[in-house]
Amino acid sequence: MRLLRGEFTKTMFQKRTYFGWAGLTAIPIIMVLALALSSKKPGPGEGPPFFSQAVHNGMFIPLAAIAALSFFLLPLVASMAGSFPLAGEAEQGTIKTWLVHPVSRGGVLLSKWVVAVFYVVIGMTLVAAAGLAAGGIAFGIHPVALLFGGSVSVAHGLWLTLLAYLIILAATICVVSLAMFFSTLANSSLTAAVGALVVFIVMQILGSFSLFDFLKPYLFTSHTDAWQNLFSRPIVWHPIYTALLTFGVYVVALTGAAWAVFRRKDVLV
Amino acid sequence: MTPTDIRERAADSPVQKPQARPASADDRPVVLATHALTKRFGSLVAVDDLNLTVRRGDVFGFLGPNGAGKTTTIRLIFGLIYPTSGYAQVLDHRVPQDRRAALKHLGGFVEVPAFYGNMSARRNLRLLGSLSTEITEQRIDEVLDIVGLRERADSKVGDFSHGMKQRLGIAHTLIHKPELIILDEPTSGLDPQGMKDVRELIRGLGKQGTTVFLSSHLLHEIEQVCNRAVIINKGRVVVEGTVDELRPAGTTVKVLTRDQARATTVLRALFGDKNVMIDEKYLIVDGVDGSVPDLIRKLVAAELDIEAIVPAPEQGLEDYFLELTQSADVDTDYSGVGAAQGGGR
Repeated sequence: MRLLRGEFTKTMFQKRTYFGWAGLTAIPIIMVLALALSSKKPGPGEGPPFFSQAVHNGMFIPLAAIAALSFFLLPLVASMAGSFPLAGEAEQGTIKTWLVHPVSRGGVLLSKWVVAVFYVVIGMTLVAAAGLAAGGIAFGIHPVALLFGGSVSVAHGLWLTLLAYLIILAATICVVSLAMFFSTLANSSLTAAVGALVVFIVMQILGSFSLFDFLKPYLFTSHTDAWQNLFSRPIVWHPIYTALLTFGVYVVALTGAAWAVFRRKDVLV
Repeated sequence: MTPTDIRERAADSPVQKPQARPASADDRPVVLATHALTKRFGSLVAVDDLNLTVRRGDVFGFLGPNGAGKTTTIRLIFGLIYPTSGYAQVLDHRVPQDRRAALKHLGGFVEVPAFYGNMSARRNLRLLGSLSTEITEQRIDEVLDIVGLRERADSKVGDFSHGMKQRLGIAHTLIHKPELIILDEPTSGLDPQGMKDVRELIRGLGKQGTTVFLSSHLLHEIEQVCNRAVIINKGRVVVEGTVDELRPAGTTVKVLTRDQARATTVLRALFGDKNVMIDEKYLIVDGVDGSVPDLIRKLVAAELDIEAIVPAPEQGLEDYFLELTQSADVDTDYSGVGAAQGGGR
């Protein structure tokens, strides 16, 4: 608990914390402005998922925004959140100021992981809140039309949105864990953040060629879209379970590897 | 402690006091030790079979040139890095095996103390100190008082000068009241006043009974504040002992008279040509070793007006240090150095 509190306090005092959040908050607002002010409306299937529906219903803005963010900005923010706590502290030298106290290295790593995930949670909450607010003002809040006909109430729509966010959060935690693993290897936070992002993009590219289809089930990036199944009726749960399982395996393996490296690491900064 | 104990102590104290800290007081408990501690980085042996013993109440000097393995040793003691073989021991706790228990009794910093520049000194101490124990605002005030930073408690550490950060480093070291504090070149990069302040601070801590392990590459610093010291080079102990034992045989004094030319002649007759050097202002006389009264008598007899006679141990120690560490470079047998020195007194 002391570790978590310390890590959290430290994070709240860093300026970059607010840059990331501000960037994430800006996206749904920009999206709403673009949709509301441009005369040419996007046709069905254009832009990110639910983008075309969003013109008629503010309820879709949080989904369209997070879908757009999940390809780049969200993983970018996640890889920074995952790499700064450890590699960034190595750069500053403050990691040794922590480790001369009787704290366990596993505890230090875990508290950093938890705070990084919490950071992403706050970021995603801001996206949802800003999207809902801006979208609601511009396009109103209406019952949610599902992918293959039918619609659900606003309350149920919000519930489905929450579930969708949780699935995307799980995918993003994979990126956080990846960045944290890299930051136990590199003493430069930039190296760790870029490393995690490069792996993420390589996975995405591998997943986009049919030649590598045999790899697809094993890449966590291929499962990020599983949340869209929530908006069909009846809900197709199977791909969602597979996605969550895949994310779980990645998170446990990467965080475990990070712990194994950090536990025995010579802290030379 | 029972009243009887106190009476006995009081009765004994006049006798015991002069010997309060003799070189042979080996019954004091060992606070810090290293046992055949070795650390290799690839083919480089940074710390080589190092055995140290620091006892309660010592202000222990850990002396060596840059790159001698001082900082690596300190990292090993804190468990920041893992030894290739051997171990360190803080009270009964081995590092790295029992690192957390050991660190409860330890405070200190390695190289430059690092803090969060966006936070105030107070908040840094609260955050970092609470990793060790419950920290009260009162305790924060106390340690800031000790290092003279109380007035800057709420300023951002990012705006601090190097010297202030160094002092904050010492405050952070003390905050959880550790039994042993380890300071890695705490005066490096400070101006003369800053050095003086930090040294006085360390002396004060020693007087209050805190055991201090002080690394330095400055001999006179060790001489000013420490009671015991080792000199290491290339990761090995070169000489070990009380500070008095480490001082080279033969004292050096600086002499200033109204007629330096004639004084030179007189003193060269007494101590030999080689031992009397002419500096800008002073004559530097080596090998005086107990014959200062003799020196004065001769000067007076020659009707020379003496302006000043100043002990100049630094001069001799620096030379001695260079001699030791340079001979280490050509792999001389160190035990010979210690023995020759011991025999010289």
